[in-house]
Amino acid sequence: MAEDGLASHKRDPIKSSVGSVAAQKRRQNAVAVGKERRESLVRAKRLCRVGISGDSDIPLDSDMMIDEEQSILEAQTLSAVEELKSAIAFQGKGAMQKKVGALRELRRLLSRSEFPPVEAALKAGAVPLLVQCLSFGSPDEQLLEAAWCLTNIAAGKPEETKALLPALPLLIAHLGEKSSLPVAEQCAWALGNVAGEGEDLRNVLLAQGALLPIARMMLPNKGSTVRTAAWALSNLIKGPDSKAATELIRVDGVLDAICRHLRKADEELATEVAWVVVYLSALSNFATNMLVKSDVLQLLIQRLATSNSLQLLIPLLRSLGNLIAGDSHTISAILIPGREITDNIIEVLVKCLKSEHRVLKKEAAWVLSNIAAGSVEHKQFVYSSEAVPLLLRLLSTAPFDIRKEVAYVLGNLCVAPAEGNGKPDLILEHLVPLVGRGCLPAFIDLVRSVDTEAARLGLQFIELVLRGMPNGEGPKLVEQEDGIEAMERFQFHENEDLRNMANGLVDRYFGEDYGLDELAD
Amino acid sequence: MAMVVDVDAKGELGFPYWTPVRRRFSPDSPFFSCGNIERELLAKQVALDLTEDDKHQLQNLVDQDGREVFCPIVGCGAHLTCLENFEDHYNTRHTASCSVCSRVYPTARLLSIHVSEAHDSFFEAKVARGYAMYECLVEGCALKFKNYKSRQQHLVDKHKFPSAFEFFKKAHPSKKARQKHQRRLAIRKREETSTKMEVEGETIDGLISAVSRLSTSDSPPSVSFGRRHTRGLMFVPRTVQRENSSHSGTKR
Repeated sequence: MAEDGLASHKRDPIKSSVGSVAAQKRRQNAVAVGKERRESLVRAKRLCRVGISGDSDIPLDSDMMIDEEQSILEAQTLSAVEELKSAIAFQGKGAMQKKVGALRELRRLLSRSEFPPVEAALKAGAVPLLVQCLSFGSPDEQLLEAAWCLTNIAAGKPEETKALLPALPLLIAHLGEKSSLPVAEQCAWALGNVAGEGEDLRNVLLAQGALLPIARMMLPNKGSTVRTAAWALSNLIKGPDSKAATELIRVDGVLDAICRHLRKADEELATEVAWVVVYLSALSNFATNMLVKSDVLQLLIQRLATSNSLQLLIPLLRSLGNLIAGDSHTISAILIPGREITDNIIEVLVKCLKSEHRVLKKEAAWVLSNIAAGSVEHKQFVYSSEAVPLLLRLLSTAPFDIRKEVAYVLGNLCVAPAEGNGKPDLILEHLVPLVGRGCLPAFIDLVRSVDTEAARLGLQFIELVLRGMPNGEGPKLVEQEDGIEAMERFQFHENEDLRNMANGLVDRYFGEDYGLDELAD
Repeated sequence: MAMVVDVDAKGELGFPYWTPVRRRFSPDSPFFSCGNIERELLAKQVALDLTEDDKHQLQNLVDQDGREVFCPIVGCGAHLTCLENFEDHYNTRHTASCSVCSRVYPTARLLSIHVSEAHDSFFEAKVARGYAMYECLVEGCALKFKNYKSRQQHLVDKHKFPSAFEFFKKAHPSKKARQKHQRRLAIRKREETSTKMEVEGETIDGLISAVSRLSTSDSPPSVSFGRRHTRGLMFVPRTVQRENSSHSGTKR
């Protein structure tokens, strides 16, 4: 069973219970677990399994307590919370050790299983107790364990993350310079999970002043704290409001740190910083502007050229794409054809097009399409690069979403920048050879697609061919590739725009007079 | 050279010409979802020991969730699970083609209506006698009209069809079919002029031209009085033909 398989490669056979009812229950549970697992894997939150300092007091065994029946886990959690409660109430000698011991036990329960018993912990009233453990002046070990528990509580479902609201002000407070580094980092981790939940919680955190302290944690050169802080920041500024992004780029030292990390940091840190750049460039025009004026473009391209880690390549490429898409200055003033940086960017984009990874191919084509939307010189530059043969190949073999992006590139190469309101001029030096190299069938294929945007794109390209191919070849070529049939499908299509576009083309170019000339012999 | 009349371009067709523009996406745009998912999976992969297979399964599952589409052909609304299935669905359900003139219709019902209206002289005769024969195209409406125009008006008024909609559109047969058709027209013209002088042949000619006026302008005449052997039929059976690939010749 697929769902079982996902989790069970280390699973020992479950002790058989009475009859098939139990088996059925297990199967049902496996399905639920499968769905939950899928969701949890895709969430922007991260469970903390190993201690920050790395030396876990208990060796991290690979057998992550998956075998435990959930009910046993829940019972243990309940008693751990009770234990913590009494430890907090205890006033006598060794009170501190008691508290830390109880916290540690709870933390273990929350760190090692596939699905930590968060709900049980919440029901038992863990959060108020943990908040108490975060009080000022508490020993580091206590703060660390409490923050760790909160981190994993926040890594779960939305309601579970929201349960951390009472703890937020204290978690933020412990980010300060006076805190020990591991404590600050664990708090940042917990806050990163909270920020990853959604817009509302993000706004709460921003209002409570979480941005500045976490931003400062990103400034040192290295260390796991820097990485955790960068990750937490990326969750914090991801919007949809652009304010946080704009605020972040304004923090003293942030832009410099970003450049430093992109240039020198190891791949893990560079990855998290690159994601920060992704959100800065996607959301805030101000930030985009500042990034473009710095060395960041150059550094992104360099890193793209040297790295082979998919995790890093994705945000690097996307940052590049965002900076090009977001600010016309990038193409008009920096990526000018003839400059070395422009040669370099085509090289890395080609590298991504050649990659086996779908994301890289798709987004590289997107970036190229934006470059191809530039000046005529840009179009000539892209057209004569090694990107075009690759694109043509992708046009016939790649999955749909990649083909759509490639279509944008090729079409943009064939049309001059629009001037005023008139019909944009065609660039026949590109259109004719591209059609000659067989790209028309792929566009007609897009016309047949159920995706409205793709169909529109296909029809627009067909119009270019019909209008622009010399010697009136356009209509014949379109007919040869069954273009007429593809366009006639729209007669009964729901979408009125597409209907009108298709009908208009057919009426104009394939009217009654069409083909009469052939009988003139 | 094809006779393309050069008209002032802007807005003449109302056609939205291809205009190169930079495209920007917000971080939560579906455009980026593939990469976002990849990010989370890669980050958790180490901790949870996901295999490549697991990852692909997960990627696909999450991608699929956003990819449900509905068939856009009017009146169909079939639910399709992904983009690729549309072509199969279209070829199975929406390519009913007319055996006489090769026009393609998206449903068997519309094909049947077309065949009656365009190739059935019986239908034509009833219309001539004033019966309301033109059915409303919308299934379930059941109204009938005495002529094409009033049915058209009904579609626009009642069912919000675009005023430019034409059920009986000019067909675009293949080059071969066009040549055949043009030759036939030419032959017919020659035959008509050559026999106009004959007194004997006048009645027969009159019949021929009368009958040929009954059929629609670009379908081949299906009656001959011994001058030419045709295999055309007066009454076209209401069969429906489905084919997988595009048709390029007249069906016989």
